[in-house]
Amino acid sequence: MINSSSAASDSTSPPHDAASPAASRARWLFGERRRPLFTPYLFLAPGFFVFALVMLYPIVRALQISFYEWSILPTAESVFVKFANYERALHDAVFWRGLVNTAAYMVATVPTQIVLGLIVAVLLDTRMPARTFFRVLYYLPVITSWVVVSLLFKYLFSSDAGFVNWVLHDGVGVLDHDVAWLQSRWTALAVVSVLGVWKGVGWSMIIFLAALQTVPKDLHEAAAIDGAGAFRRFRHVSLPAIWPTLLFVTVMLVIGGFNVFISIFLITGGGPAEETEVLLTYMYRQAFDFLDFGYGSSIAFLLTGIVFTLSLLQLRFLRRPTEFRA
Amino acid sequence: MRYRTLLFIPLLVSLAVAAGAQGSIRPASPARPQATTTITFWHAYSSDSPEVKTINNVLLPRFHRLYPRIRVRAVAVPYDSLHQKLITATAGGTLPDVVRSDIIWVPELAKLGVLVPLDRQMRDFKKLAKLTFPGALSTNKWNGRYYGLPLDTNTRVQMYNQDALAAAGIQQPPKTFAALRTMAARLKAKDIYAFADGGTSGWSVLPWIWSAGGRLTNASLTKATGQLNSAASVRGVQLLVDLHRQGAARFGNVDGGLATSDGLAQGKFATILDGPWMFPIFQGQYPNFRLRTARVPSGPGGSISVVGGEDIVMTTSSKNKGQAASFIRFMLSRFAQLEMAKVGQMTIRTDLKKQMVKIRPYYGIFLEQLATARARTPHPQWPRIDQTLESYVAKAVKGDLTVQEALMQAAREIDQLLVRR
Repeated sequence: MINSSSAASDSTSPPHDAASPAASRARWLFGERRRPLFTPYLFLAPGFFVFALVMLYPIVRALQISFYEWSILPTAESVFVKFANYERALHDAVFWRGLVNTAAYMVATVPTQIVLGLIVAVLLDTRMPARTFFRVLYYLPVITSWVVVSLLFKYLFSSDAGFVNWVLHDGVGVLDHDVAWLQSRWTALAVVSVLGVWKGVGWSMIIFLAALQTVPKDLHEAAAIDGAGAFRRFRHVSLPAIWPTLLFVTVMLVIGGFNVFISIFLITGGGPAEETEVLLTYMYRQAFDFLDFGYGSSIAFLLTGIVFTLSLLQLRFLRRPTEFRA
Repeated sequence: MRYRTLLFIPLLVSLAVAAGAQGSIRPASPARPQATTTITFWHAYSSDSPEVKTINNVLLPRFHRLYPRIRVRAVAVPYDSLHQKLITATAGGTLPDVVRSDIIWVPELAKLGVLVPLDRQMRDFKKLAKLTFPGALSTNKWNGRYYGLPLDTNTRVQMYNQDALAAAGIQQPPKTFAALRTMAARLKAKDIYAFADGGTSGWSVLPWIWSAGGRLTNASLTKATGQLNSAASVRGVQLLVDLHRQGAARFGNVDGGLATSDGLAQGKFATILDGPWMFPIFQGQYPNFRLRTARVPSGPGGSISVVGGEDIVMTTSSKNKGQAASFIRFMLSRFAQLEMAKVGQMTIRTDLKKQMVKIRPYYGIFLEQLATARARTPHPQWPRIDQTLESYVAKAVKGDLTVQEALMQAAREIDQLLVRR
């Protein structure tokens, strides 16, 4: 802010810039250099308004609902139950099973997607024939519909007429009987994890590929002259260079892993006997099948807390003190 | 002064709008055509189904002739999204006047307070209720009041593949639990499952529990322990578990694989339980397969199946309850019930049994079975109760728990749910 007394004593100042109330109001509004302080906020306002309407409001509302035995009828009274919904979740065996299943899915899919995505990205970063074709090919699963591929996997792994059993049992003969892949907990989770990896590798590949292309070629050349082989060049040149990207991909995949929903919902429906329930399918069932919106919201916030904490921990422990600078 | 004028403008506009609105419900003068009231009716018939054609081309024109001052706007909502749409409409206060609701949603909606108790609203309720099957009517009862009337009904009967039975030297479908047990081994020797079902929920398991003489809850719907884990209930589930252990029965949620209808038509399953809608499905998919039916195998409790179907309910938010009641009455009329029967909807009226069999001979076995069929527990917590039952019976089928343990644990959990009225 300009010092109004000094401005008033400056005889060279144009008359309209003097200490008139209008001028000082204008200075207060637009700042010393006539920087329009409000202008950026005006531009941000529409976006923020939409964000507040479709994101902030539902989040705050869901948080409120999680402390109530919520009645969906607007005219009916909802009962404030403090932390009862959260306590209920912590004593609910299916909630814990859902958490373990979600974590298992995350552990099975995240490292696999990172490793495979990185390998494919490194391969596709080299000069090779039909490179664009392969890039498109690996990315194709990412843009396919979750619903379509989930149903496809359901049929592939069906116990009687499924393609996988047909190949493994009737074809190759590795199995002596058909396996009910989707009817027991771990085989069903394995199928869903395979789907998650198949669908997700393309995404991590494309991010890694973009990062690898920013690694200066001269560093690779210098390392090669120093006698470093391909693996050592990757280990000591490429990997440090793409470390922030690796961290980003890890954080995003962990968040995505904890949000597994469509594949479980469509392939197993959480069954049999709630064995393959994950947190989001369990939350959905509580809210929309049983109309227990309070409990559903509390599960959603517990999941948010877990994901938030994990993301912070990853950022804290995986971030390297010195980052590569090209 | 100018501000005052401005303040008056919205007031004047409101008055003008109100005057217009008043005009629409003012008694008609001889010079003007009579004003009509529109009521909205949500149903879940597929938008291109024969049922919708009958509603739009036969029933509604007839209703509009009978009640020229009432227009019905029939809205087809896909069945899979109707429940969610009802819930969001409840939250948003945008429910229609009349809904064709799945029978299992009525207590839940009644508990939410969005349904009008028809036994209070309609003076002729008792007369209408007397026309219907008791099992179908009971699905509308919650907390001592009736919140709807049955609209269409169905039940599950035994469907069997005669060729599959004959392959094992069996001439008749099993009439009793004992006959089913006996024929299971012979069919197994021919690589044929004696029985298959899609899952272990109440829709699948309750006919066996009831036919064995067991129950899910007591009559006042307050307790499951002592009922679901009784010797009789255990006997019903034990039959299914024993058959599964022998490799003579399959359950979709535990074993996966073929749909029951495919397995039956292909001769891999000898018997299944299913509803009247399967006839056109088999006819379309397996035109050479001759579907035969029999009653559900009898146990010590008799041959008791489960009631399915839909009820017709009126919402508390309806501003035209009198007109909605007229429409409900019309939908239960002989004319409407018989027209809908022609397109596959079984009537809920006991006095139309003969006409039903004339329309479709295969309705006969279902009407016979309906005489003793029972409704699933009419309780707002039914979806959770059903989930609990399904999970524990699945555990028993998989061998994780004995039937006694599974039903005991299920009963304890269901007790907790029954308390949450």
